Amino acid sequence: MVSSYCNRFYADKPDLAARRIEAIGYQVGHQLSERYTMERPRFSDHLEAIKFICKDFWSEVFKKQIDNLKTNHRGTFVLQDNRFRWLSRMSTDPSLETGQEGDNKATEAMSMHLYFPCGIIRGALSNLGIPCAVSADISSLPAFYVILLGFLKLPCANVKTVIHLNHFGNMDYDLYMDLFDRMLL
Amino acid sequence: MIVCIAVVGHQNNPLYIQSFTEADDALKLHHIVHCSLDVVDERVNNPKKSGPLLNETFLGLLYPTENYKVYGYLTNTKVKFILVTTDLDVKDADVRNFFRRFHAAYVDAVSNPFHVPGKKITSRTFAERVSTIVKAFGLSSAG
Repeated sequence: MVSSYCNRFYADKPDLAARRIEAIGYQVGHQLSERYTMERPRFSDHLEAIKFICKDFWSEVFKKQIDNLKTNHRGTFVLQDNRFRWLSRMSTDPSLETGQEGDNKATEAMSMHLYFPCGIIRGALSNLGIPCAVSADISSLPAFYVILLGFLKLPCANVKTVIHLNHFGNMDYDLYMDLFDRMLL
Repeated sequence: MIVCIAVVGHQNNPLYIQSFTEADDALKLHHIVHCSLDVVDERVNNPKKSGPLLNETFLGLLYPTENYKVYGYLTNTKVKFILVTTDLDVKDADVRNFFRRFHAAYVDAVSNPFHVPGKKITSRTFAERVSTIVKAFGLSSAG
């Protein structure tokens, strides 16, 4: 699905393809969250909804639970998945020579595949009453994945979600928070 | 007997409303459903009053009127289901069971890729399924 959107329908407009894929993910997440929350008691706050996303929703969609959840208690949540199923078996075009250029191509292809899960999470959260925005970022190392989901409460009660995916597993958390803060300014 | 069923979206927008009476009292039933929305809001915003029902999707009896009893159900996605019935001695378990089946029908209806979220549910399959559930409720509560 991702490749047909990237290479056929919107071959010359990667931005448009990304937005389209994200929108499809949004709809899927919207509907899945309705289905998966059917037999559950209501969530009393955002943290419970996030916990639901980490445990039940994640294991329904990605067949495993989140490895780590961090929060700064100001509305920012960081979700970490060390082995993201959907990308753990990604292969790249063998015709591309290895090296810097091949790596860049692989990164680009993989980041296109991230828009769909981003959209799913955004759809699920907004259906649970948490409006948010999701973006993705990826590096070229396929062995070890980290998904960080930041989630900032703006003064106007708007909530923004940022997903970062990269291989710097041990990167400093504060550094990330700094990055988030700068992105907002 | 169930006289009216309503699905109300998270912005209190009606998604589906259906009455099951012969008489021409749809307007009255809609009015009852409308009034019940305030009770739902009250229950949700003052959780102390609802006591043991805290955070359950089933809200229980919202309010009794002269001829009707109104039950409510609130999903995690802030969609409200309202049930108006003329039976005065209904078991809570029956209503719970009804709402569970109704919720399943609703989830299947909104999972239709052609359904636009936040718009009225126009699916004929959903309408048929709902009337089946309503009939089954009538049988179980009468028996």
